[in-house]
Amino acid sequence: MTNRLRTRTVLAAAAVAALLGGIACSDFFNVPNTNQPNLEDLITNPTRAKLSAAATGIFASARGDIQGIVWRLGSLGREGINLSGNNQPDYQEPYFLAALTGNFGGALWGGRYGAIRNANIYLTALGRVSTAEVSDPEKAASRGMANTMKALAFLYVVEARDSLGAPVDVDISITAPPAPFVAKDSVYGYAIGLLDSARADLARAGTAAFPFSVPPGLNGTGLNAADFSSPALFIPFNRALAAKARVLRATAANCGAPCYTAALADLTASFITNNAADFKTGAYFDFSNAANDVPNGLSEPLNGVTFYAHPSDSVDAQLQPGGQPDQRVIDKIVAAKDTQVLGGISEIPGEQKFTIYFTGGSPDPTRPIPIIRDEELVLLRAEAEWFTGAKLQALVDINLVRQNAGKLAATTLTIASPDAAFVAELLYNRRYSLLWEQGTRWIDARRFNRMADIPKQPPTGGNVAKVMPIPDPECNGRGLTNGCTPLTP
Amino acid sequence: MVKRTSLLALLLVPLVGVATLAAQQRQITGRVTAAQTSELVAGVTVTVTGTAFAAVTNADGRYAVSAPEGQVTVVFRRIGYKRREVSAPAGQNTADVTLEQDVFNLEAVVVTGQATGIERRNAAMATTSVSGAEVARVPSPALDRALAGKVPGAIISQNSGAPGGGTQIQIRGSNTVIGSPDPLFVVDGVLYSNAALPTGLFAVTVSSRNQGLGEQQDDPVNRLADLNPSDVESIEVLRGAAASSIYGAKAANGVIIIKTNRGRAGKPHANITQRLGFSELLRGPATRAFTLADPFPYTAARIQPYLVNGQVPFYDHLKELTDTKPFAYETNLDVSGGSENTRYFVGGSSKRDGGIIGNTFDERQNLRMNLDQTLSDRLNLSVSTAFNRTATDKGFTNNDNNGASVTYAIAYVPSFVSLLPQSGLYPQPGISYLGSNPLQTAALAKNTETVYRFTGGATLNWQAVQTARHNLRLVGAAGADLFQQKAVVISSPELLFEQTLTNPGTSARSNADSRQWNWNLNTIHTYTPATGTFKATTSAGVQVEDRELGRARVVAHGLLPGQSNIDQGSVLQQQFELNLKERTLAFYGQEEFLTLAERLMLSVGFRAERSSANGDPNKYYLFPKAGASYRFPGLLGEGTELKIRGAYGETGNQPIFGQKFTTLASTVIGGSVGTVIGGVAGAPDIKPERLKEVEAGVDAQLWHGRATVEVTGYSRHTYDLLLQATPVTSSGFGTRIFNGGVLWNEGIEIAGGVTPVQTKSLSWVFRTTFTSLKNRVQELPSPDICKPGATVCGFRPPVAGFGLPYGEFFIQQGRPITQIIGTDTVPGGGGALLTRYLGQANPRFRWSFLNDVSYRRLAFSMLWDWQLGGAEQNQTLSLYDCNGLAPDQVTVAGRARYDACNVWGIAPPFVQSTTFLKLREASIALDLPERWAGWFGARNARVSVTGRNLVLITDYFGYDPEESNFGQQAISRNIDLGPYPPMRSFYFSITAGF
Repeated sequence: MTNRLRTRTVLAAAAVAALLGGIACSDFFNVPNTNQPNLEDLITNPTRAKLSAAATGIFASARGDIQGIVWRLGSLGREGINLSGNNQPDYQEPYFLAALTGNFGGALWGGRYGAIRNANIYLTALGRVSTAEVSDPEKAASRGMANTMKALAFLYVVEARDSLGAPVDVDISITAPPAPFVAKDSVYGYAIGLLDSARADLARAGTAAFPFSVPPGLNGTGLNAADFSSPALFIPFNRALAAKARVLRATAANCGAPCYTAALADLTASFITNNAADFKTGAYFDFSNAANDVPNGLSEPLNGVTFYAHPSDSVDAQLQPGGQPDQRVIDKIVAAKDTQVLGGISEIPGEQKFTIYFTGGSPDPTRPIPIIRDEELVLLRAEAEWFTGAKLQALVDINLVRQNAGKLAATTLTIASPDAAFVAELLYNRRYSLLWEQGTRWIDARRFNRMADIPKQPPTGGNVAKVMPIPDPECNGRGLTNGCTPLTP
Repeated sequence: MVKRTSLLALLLVPLVGVATLAAQQRQITGRVTAAQTSELVAGVTVTVTGTAFAAVTNADGRYAVSAPEGQVTVVFRRIGYKRREVSAPAGQNTADVTLEQDVFNLEAVVVTGQATGIERRNAAMATTSVSGAEVARVPSPALDRALAGKVPGAIISQNSGAPGGGTQIQIRGSNTVIGSPDPLFVVDGVLYSNAALPTGLFAVTVSSRNQGLGEQQDDPVNRLADLNPSDVESIEVLRGAAASSIYGAKAANGVIIIKTNRGRAGKPHANITQRLGFSELLRGPATRAFTLADPFPYTAARIQPYLVNGQVPFYDHLKELTDTKPFAYETNLDVSGGSENTRYFVGGSSKRDGGIIGNTFDERQNLRMNLDQTLSDRLNLSVSTAFNRTATDKGFTNNDNNGASVTYAIAYVPSFVSLLPQSGLYPQPGISYLGSNPLQTAALAKNTETVYRFTGGATLNWQAVQTARHNLRLVGAAGADLFQQKAVVISSPELLFEQTLTNPGTSARSNADSRQWNWNLNTIHTYTPATGTFKATTSAGVQVEDRELGRARVVAHGLLPGQSNIDQGSVLQQQFELNLKERTLAFYGQEEFLTLAERLMLSVGFRAERSSANGDPNKYYLFPKAGASYRFPGLLGEGTELKIRGAYGETGNQPIFGQKFTTLASTVIGGSVGTVIGGVAGAPDIKPERLKEVEAGVDAQLWHGRATVEVTGYSRHTYDLLLQATPVTSSGFGTRIFNGGVLWNEGIEIAGGVTPVQTKSLSWVFRTTFTSLKNRVQELPSPDICKPGATVCGFRPPVAGFGLPYGEFFIQQGRPITQIIGTDTVPGGGGALLTRYLGQANPRFRWSFLNDVSYRRLAFSMLWDWQLGGAEQNQTLSLYDCNGLAPDQVTVAGRARYDACNVWGIAPPFVQSTTFLKLREASIALDLPERWAGWFGARNARVSVTGRNLVLITDYFGYDPEESNFGQQAISRNIDLGPYPPMRSFYFSITAGF
C-alpha cells in the first residue's frame, strides 16, 4: 500500500470512529413524551401540585357519563327519546329490545370504571407523597373526597346493571386476571363502606382545608350549588349519597327496614332542608364551553333534532286545582319548534322538548346537572319514613313536594293507605321531580317491581329492557360471550 | 459497548488490505450512439469486466477508460438502453458501439444498499423500476395514482375521487394491524414524508366524536401529492423484506425510491408542456323514482305536498351535486444541461384540477433545482432541492353524523324533494338528513389545506482509491424534508344543518409542521482479483434518521354570519396539540459477491438499529438478509437468458410514537385543569414488529430482449405484531398495547412484457403485471386475545366498520387477515341471527394490461386494470337501502335489502364484491413534424389527448369499489361511505422540446 493511501485510510477511519463513538453514546435517541403527563410520573413522583390536578380529574371524570345516564336510562324509562343518529338510531334499542346489545347497552360502564381507576391512582399516589408536600390531615381529607366520588361511580354502575352485579375489587394490574363480579347487594355494600370510611377520613381531617380546588357545583358558587368545599362541609354531601345508597339498597337488594333506618340517620347528617325554596340546592356537575371542558349537550335548542320528551310525560301529569298540568311539566317541557318525524317510529313524532337545562328560556351549555339535591332528599326521606312506620311524616314530605314543586293538591293518601298506593304516589313525585335528571323512573319501576308501569307501546313492537347489559369487552375479556351474566354463567 | 466495537470493526474492514496499483495499463476510447435514432448518448457507464475500471461518456458520447493489457470485455450501460458487451482484444484501443432501447427496463440498476446497487440481471430479489415517462404520460392527482397497474405486488387504490389525491398503497398484503401501513418513501436519498394529515373536517361532519376515529374519516391527502410526476426520472419499488431490509424497521410495507431528473453535460435542453382538461362524474348511485302507487316507506299523503302539476317530480340529487365539468390546467417547464463538471436540471410547474363538486379543487406549484458538480476527479457533489405549494379544497364528504357530508346527505333525500335554490335561497327540504340541504352545503362549504414544502439533499462521493483491483468509495449524504400545512374548514352558520345546533357555524383551523432529516455515511469497497474470477463489494455505514411531526387544531362554534376567524365564534372546542418525534441510529454491513463470469451472485447483509420509538431506546435490533441468483445465458436458445433467484430477509415496523407510554389526559372542570387516566395502557417494553420473508423467482428474457417475464413467489410472516387488546372495561382502560401474534402473507407476482412488432415505423409493446396473494392470521396471543374457553379467537381492529349489522372487519386466528364478518339470519331459523364470514378485502388478483402502439408519428396507449374478488363494506348502499331510496326498492330484491336494514339488521346485502375492470389511462399522441415544431423555434413537438379513469365496469352499487372512508389502512381498507364521487378526466396536451 502506498503511503498516500495509508494516510487517507487512517484519516477516514479516525473520522468515522470519532463520529460513531459520539452519536452512539449520546442520549439523543431517547425521546421523552412531551404531549401529556405520564402515569408513571404521578405514581412514582407525586407532588402536591400533581395530586391537586389529579383531584380535579376525579371531579371531572365523575361527571363523564351523566348525560348518557340521563338520556339512556331516560329512554328506557320513557322519560324522553333520542331521535338523532342515522342508520343506527339511538331510540332503536331502548324502545324495541327486551334485551339490549352492546351498541346501546354497552355504555355507562367503562367511563365509570375509568373514574374509579382515577380515584384508585390518586389514592395510590396520595399514599406515596411525603407529608412535607401533603400533611396527614390533608391526606385524610383527600382520601375522604376520593372515596366519596369512587362510591358515586359504583352507585351509577349498579343502578344501570342491577341484578347483573359488578366487579368491585378493581384496583389491580392491567395484566392481572379480571376482578370477580359480586351481586348487587355487595356492590351497594361496597359503595356504602367507601362512603362510611370517607366520612371517617373527612372527620379526621379536622380543620384542614382540601389541598385541591372544589368545582363550583360543589363549592357553593355554582348555580343552586350548596357549599361542600371543606372536609367538614363535604360530609353532608357524603351522607346524602349514603342515604341514597341505603334507600336504593333497601328496595333493590331487599335490605328493607334496617337500610331505611340507617338512611334516615344519614339524611339527618346531610344537607336536607324542609324548605321548598331550597329544593334545587344541592350537589351539581359543572359544564362549560371552555377549552378542554365539556358542555351540557342535553341543553339543546327547541329546533334541535336529538332529545325529545316522551308523550306520556304530559299525558300522565296530574292537574293542578286550576286545571293546568302539574307545574313540574309546565316548568320542564315545551312544544318543539320543528316536529321531527322519522319513518321508523311515527307514533313518537317528537313534538315536545325539555327545558330543564335552559337558562332564561334559552339553551345553556354551561347549565349544571344535579348529582343529588334537596328535593330528592325529601323524597328519599318520605320513602324511608313510610317503610319504617313514620307514615304521617312520610305524607308530610310527599305533600311538601306535591304542593310546592307540582302545585298540586295535597295527597289523598292516609296512613291507612296500602303500601302500593304510597309507592305509586312516591314514584309519581320522584318521576316528575327528578325528570330527565338520572333515569329515576326506570330505576324506580325496577326496584319496586313495577316495570309494567312503563309503557312498552307506542311504538308498536316496543319493549322495555330491565337492565343495561354487561358490555361486550367486559364479557369477552372473561372468555364469555356477548350479553353474559357472570354471576350466573 | 461490545456490539459497537464489533460494528466499528466491520465498518473498517473495507479500508484495510488495499493492494498495490496494477503495473500494466492502456486506454480504450470510443463513442456511443443510439441504435434507432443514431443520436449520441451521454452518461453511459463504461466498465471493464474483471477490473474496477470505469468511465462515463461525455456530452458527445465519447469515453476513455483504463484497461489492463490483453483481451478484455468492455461493458456499456445506461438507463433506458440495453447493456452491450464488446470484446477488445489486446492492442485494440478503440471501441464504438450502438445501444438499443430498453423498453422493459431490464438494465436498471437495482438498489441493494444505501450507496450500492447491482445490475438488474444479477439481482437476487424482485424489484420494479418505473420510469418517469411512464408516470407522467397521463396526468394524475398524485404520483401514487400514476403507479396503479404498473407495479406487481402493489395494490394501489384511490380513497376518493376528490382532487388532490388520497391513495392507499399496499405492497405484499396486510402486514400489520395497528402499526403503520405506509411504505417508506425516499426521494433522492431523503426520507420523504407521505403523512396524510386530516383537515379537521370531522369537527363538522362529526364522523366520530372521538378525535382519532374522526380524523381518519377526513379523506386526507397523503403528501406524496406534493411531488411533481414530471420531475421524476425513475421510481424503484422494493417489495420484499430482503430488498427493503436495508431500511430497517420502517420498511415492512416496502420502500419506494424515487429519483428525480438530473442534468447531463451538453447544450441546454428545455421542455414545455401545456395541458388543458376537464373532469366529470365517472359513476355514482342511481336514485329511485317514486310513484304515488308505491310510495313505501313514505305514504302518498307524505309525497302529496311535493307534487308538481299533479305529478311526482324526479330530481337526481347526485347529478345536481356533480353537475359541473371543472376546468383543469397544467404547465410544466424544465431546462437541463451543463458542462463536463457542472450539470443542472431546473424545473417548474403549475397546475390546477377542478372537482366535480362545486368549489373543490387542487392546485400545485413546484420548483426544482438539481445540481451535480464534479469537484475533482475523485470528488463529486450532487444537490437536489425542491420547493412546492399545494392547495386543496375537498368539500364535505365521507361519513357523517351531523348533516354536513353532501354525499352522505343526498342518500337521505328522496328524488321527489327539490333541493334546488328558489330565488337564490336553498330550501329546507322537509325530508332530509338532520335538516340539511346538500346543495346548499356544497355551495358554502370550505375544506381547504395549503402546504408549503421544501425538500433538499446533498451527496458527496469521494473516490478514495481506484486501481485495477481495488475501488474504495466514501459516500456521505444528508437531507431534509420540511413542510408546513395549514387547514381551514368552514361550515357557515347559514347552513341549514348548522342552524339546528346550539352554536351554529363551525370553523376548524389545523396547523402541522413536519421535519424529517437523515444523514448517512457509507464506505464501499470493491475488490477484483487479478484473475478476474470474482468481484466482491463490501459496504458498511451508519445512518441517522430524525423525524418530527407537530400538529395542532382549534375549533370555533357559533360563528358570526360571514365570519370564519376562530375569534369570531362563541365557543372554542376540540383544542388539540400533538408532537411526535422519532429518532433512529443504524449501522449496516453488507457483502456482495459476483462470480462465475458474473453469473452467480451472492449477498449477505445486516442492519442493526435502535430507535426512540422502542420501549428500550438503547437496544439494537438486528435485521439480516441474504440472497443468491444464477444466470443461464442462452439456456433457451440464442438471445435468451434465464435467471433463478432466492432471498431471505427480515425487516421491521416500528412502534408508533407514544405506544410505550401510559399517559394522563388533561381535562377542565370549573376552570381548573386536571388529569385523568388516558384510556390506553401503554407497553413499556414495546418492540418493532418483525417481518421475515423468503422469496424466490425466475426471470427470463427471450427473443433478444423483446420478451421478458419475471415470476416471484414469496411467503412472509410478521411476528411480534403491535396489537391492541381490549381488557375488561372494569380495568378502567379501553385498550392495552402489546406485542404478539403472527400474520402470514403468501403471494405470487408476475411482470411480463413483449414487443410483438418492432419495425422502423410500427411498434407495439405489451406489458402486464399480475398480483395475487392470500393471507391468514396465523396466531393470536393467549390469553390477551384468545380467551380461554372462547369459541372465537379474535378481536375487532380499530375502525372495523359500523357494527355487525352492516359488516365489520374482524381479526381472527386462522382466518384471512382482512375478513369481513356480519350478522345474518340462520337459514330456516325463523329470524334467529348469527354472525358469519361475508368476504375479505383482499382480492383474488389484480391484473393489469398496458399496450403501447406507435405508428410513425402516432402513439396510442391504454392501461386496463382488472381486479377479481375482494369485498367492500358498501355503506353507501346501506344508506340508500335503509332509506328506501335504492332504485330497485319496489322490487322483491330491493325490498329485501330495505328489510335487511330496517327489520332484520343483517349485513350480507351491504358487503359487495369489488370485482372491476377499469381503463385507468389512455392516450393518443402525435409527434408534429419537425418543421412545424420549428415554426415556434422548437426542436420537436407533440400533441396528445389523454384520459384517466375513463371506463369502470363493475356490478358494484354506487361509486367506485376502490374508494374508502378511512384513508390508508392496513386492514379496514374497503369501507365505502358517501365518498367524494370518482372522476373521469380528460386532458389535451402540447409538449415542445427546445
